[in-house]
Amino acid sequence: MVDALRRAHRALRPGSVLLDLHPTASDVPVEVGARVTGRVDTGDGLRRHAAAAHALTRSVATQLFALERTLTFDFLTYGDSIEELRDYIAENWREARIGSAAVERTRDALRAAPGVKPRVREHVQVTRLLSPSLQTKV
Amino acid sequence: MIEEDPEEHELVALRAVWTPAAACRVLEVGAGDGRLTRRYAHEVASVIAIDPDADAIADLRREFPHVDARAVGVEELSLSDHSVDVVLFAWSL
Repeated sequence: MVDALRRAHRALRPGSVLLDLHPTASDVPVEVGARVTGRVDTGDGLRRHAAAAHALTRSVATQLFALERTLTFDFLTYGDSIEELRDYIAENWREARIGSAAVERTRDALRAAPGVKPRVREHVQVTRLLSPSLQTKV
Repeated sequence: MIEEDPEEHELVALRAVWTPAAACRVLEVGAGDGRLTRRYAHEVASVIAIDPDADAIADLRREFPHVDARAVGVEELSLSDHSVDVVLFAWSL
C-alpha cells in the first residue's frame, strides 16, 4: 500500500491531488429498515482497511503527501431479497459472506416488513491529499 | 436486482472533496467496471483507468471507449512521472 502511494506520488504533478476512498475498519451491518439483523463476515477486510488507513497516515507523516480533508459516508447496497444480497456479496466482495443465522434473521424481519429491501451498510472514508513539492520522496 | 448506493452518498462525498475540471488528467486505480468512473469521466480531459480484473476492464472499455482502460495493477503500470493531475484510489488501497 505504501508502495502504491509512492507510485501515485511519482505520477502526480507537484501540487496536484490524491483522492482515496476505502471502507473504514468497522462492522458492516445487514439491515431491514432500521433493524440490524446481522453482520457481514468480512474475512480479513477489517485488517485490510486498517492497513489502508495506516498507509495514508504514514504517507502524511513522511511528508509524501499533505492531508487536506477527510470525511465519511455510508454506502448502502440493496438486494431484492436476502438470498440475492448474500449471493452478490459472496461473488463480488473479497472473502466476505453473510452467514446463515443472519440470513434467517433477515428473512424473519422481511416477513414483518413487506416491501422493504434488505441492505448492507459500509462506512467509507474519503481522503483528499496534496502532492506537496517538486521533490521526489522515493 | 442489486442496487449500489442509490442515495448517491458516494457521489456527494466525492464532490465535497473534488471538483472535476475540464483540463484535468485522472488516473483511477481499482476502477473495476467503471462504477465510479462514470461519475466524472465526462467532465475531465482524460482518464487512465486501471484494474487487474480483465473482465471488469473490458466492461469499462465497452461503456467508455474514450477512457484509457488497462487491465493491470498499480505495481505494473507504466506511466511518465508528473503526468497526471489527480490519482483516485477507488476502494483499492
